[in-house]
Amino acid sequence: MPQGPVIETERLVLRPPQAADFERYAELLADEHACRFIGGSASRAAAWRKFLQMPGAWMVQGFAMFSVIDRATGLWLGQSGPWRPEGWPGNEVGWSFHPQAWGRGYATEAATAAIDWAFAELGWDHVIHCIDPENLPSQRVAQRLGSRNQGPGRLPEPFAGARIDIWGQSRAQWLARRAAVA
Amino acid sequence: MDLERLQLETPRLLLRVPRREDFEAWAAFVADEEATRHIGGVQPRPVAWRGLAAMLGCWHLQGHAMFSVIEKASGQWIGRVGPWQPEGWPGPEVGWSIVRSHWGRGYAPEAAAACMDWVFDVLGWEEVIHTIEPANERSKVVATKLGSRYLRMGQLPPPLDATAEIWGQTRDEWRAFRAARG
Repeated sequence: MPQGPVIETERLVLRPPQAADFERYAELLADEHACRFIGGSASRAAAWRKFLQMPGAWMVQGFAMFSVIDRATGLWLGQSGPWRPEGWPGNEVGWSFHPQAWGRGYATEAATAAIDWAFAELGWDHVIHCIDPENLPSQRVAQRLGSRNQGPGRLPEPFAGARIDIWGQSRAQWLARRAAVA
Repeated sequence: MDLERLQLETPRLLLRVPRREDFEAWAAFVADEEATRHIGGVQPRPVAWRGLAAMLGCWHLQGHAMFSVIEKASGQWIGRVGPWQPEGWPGPEVGWSIVRSHWGRGYAPEAAAACMDWVFDVLGWEEVIHTIEPANERSKVVATKLGSRYLRMGQLPPPLDATAEIWGQTRDEWRAFRAARG
């Protein structure tokens, strides 16, 4: 298993992905509606190859998205965390969640912990979120995080041609906001 | 298994788990139209990065995946060879692909033979297959050199969605073949 940090929030555990997370991930990728803004649905076989990228990126870079686990039940809820594959337009903290886990503020809670971690551990001075202009739920998460829409951007292959806006904020903005909330 | 120390050695080659430092050679390899004609086609650099990450992720989640092949004399990365059985695959494969500049030197069968020993002795596999695109005559020569034979036609799962010849042999056949060659 990839070595990496374990972060606990009020309701969630964030840790690097494990093989047992795949079943729920494959459910998410089989749900056409739920993954229309994250590259589209995929068969189980294609989902497996995609799933492997995340633990692999942990090994290659020392960071990638975390699996987000429900502290109470142990259930895989989704993934959130730092993400910067080759050619990516910036240092992203992203999120994608199983449809059964929507609407409870999990994405905001997980991304907040992931952004804290990325600024503390990775030396980033800026964080972005690449969001489809029609993906209103994710835009609301970005707003709750205090990020702003910085305008249209471009993703590399295999997502070239995807319409996205780049949301984001600086480390200074994040730290100021966290201090004000605390 | 300590993946950082895992290494197979042949007279001319070292086989080890892929690393970040392999990326430039890996990306150049998958950008080569001729070398990738029978293994899914060329990949742009950002997709190549995801492929390398997925290979590493596979090592860490499944405990096996293809090795990076290093030419001892030069220290160069010259390809990827080894076990490969992603979700939905038609069987436990030992596969190979070598950079074009190093074709014709017998490196593919040399590396694959070490991997055959490893999957049978260490992973406990009882059979091995090689999925080969029908037009890929070079790979059929390699399979023949390994003592494998054509078994049947098979289907590769998405994202490949292709028909392939399935070559292969059993563990007993491999051990008899190795013993006969001394």
